[in-house]
Amino acid sequence: MSADQEFEKLVKLYYQDLYRFGFSLTRSEADACDLTQQTFYIWANKGHQLKDLGKVKGWLFTTLHREFLQMSRRQKRFSDEPISEVADNLPHVSADVVNRIDAQTMLGVLGQIDEDYRAPLVLYYSEDLSYKEIADVLEVPLGTVQSRIARAKTHLFQRLTQTNHRSHQSI
Amino acid sequence: MNTSEAKERLLLYRGPIDDADPQFGEALAHARRDPDLAEWMREQSRSYGTIRSKLREIEPPRDLAEKIIRERPIPFRRGGTQIIRKRPTSFRPSWTQMLQLAAAIVILAGITTVWLNLSQRGRHQLGQGQEVVVKGEVLDMTCYIAHNLSGPQHAECAKTCIRKGLPVGIKGEDGKTYLLVDKTQPVNAELADYAAKTVTIRGKETMRDGFSLLQVEEIRKF
Repeated sequence: MSADQEFEKLVKLYYQDLYRFGFSLTRSEADACDLTQQTFYIWANKGHQLKDLGKVKGWLFTTLHREFLQMSRRQKRFSDEPISEVADNLPHVSADVVNRIDAQTMLGVLGQIDEDYRAPLVLYYSEDLSYKEIADVLEVPLGTVQSRIARAKTHLFQRLTQTNHRSHQSI
Repeated sequence: MNTSEAKERLLLYRGPIDDADPQFGEALAHARRDPDLAEWMREQSRSYGTIRSKLREIEPPRDLAEKIIRERPIPFRRGGTQIIRKRPTSFRPSWTQMLQLAAAIVILAGITTVWLNLSQRGRHQLGQGQEVVVKGEVLDMTCYIAHNLSGPQHAECAKTCIRKGLPVGIKGEDGKTYLLVDKTQPVNAELADYAAKTVTIRGKETMRDGFSLLQVEEIRKF
């Protein structure tokens, strides 16, 4: 297979997942497209440096996230937060409630969650990455990833509950 | 491990993808012994699956993959240093692009005016031109001038634009581009299906306000 064919195959395999991740982070179609394109642009120039081709997916997500951070020009601080009490305080949100919410509303709700929490939550839900891989993509410690996901789930469920109440009231 | 501790662990459990993760082993074993915890876990799992499917409903623009592949940078080496030929164009319109677009709209408005006038004036005024035969690609002039879009990747859009009556042109093999006009009626209907394809047109070449016009006499679609 030629280099062009390999590149094309890789794009077709991952561009949708990368776009979804980018769109969840930025909530902008143009920014998500730019991030996806930029990720493959970097791959085309630096991908040959990756020794283990089994890690291509993680590499692409890491690159997109780095580009996003660069785009948003935010300084990040890492902190571990205990998961304890999160499980007990998790609001009950049934699958039926979630089913009534469309994808755009879901994205709107996700957009209300702080950026530090949103990225791990999106990877947790939409990509088949292990926690170690999510930590590698976001370049934060494993414990931080897990605590952020747990806390982000609480935020998400609280907001979904509020959204559901509002939609009931408006009927 | 008590139920509360098991719940704390299982909050992050997503299903088979996490089965190999040792941090969940003990909590899963606890859930097998505790029906209430097992039910809580099933409900969590259903919510997880539903939210996941909602997020996966997000679809990228149809042409994203094509654009990425088309604009793939072709690195080349010079003196041992890798040089990037060009960066891909952004999806976010820049001020420069907005200005270019505005300029293109002004130019197109001019072209359209000329084109409409010529269509109405009839043959005799343009009949003075020199007869030429041009072989080349059928262009949708709006997208070609405004965005430099042409070729097979743009064929569907070009076909739609031409069919809707936007100005149609031909780019000859020598690179010269003509706005196509007809003596009595627009050539759009006849050429829409040949957008981005090669045709040969015999006609009279004239100039109007700096634009090259080709008054169509005969179209050979091969």
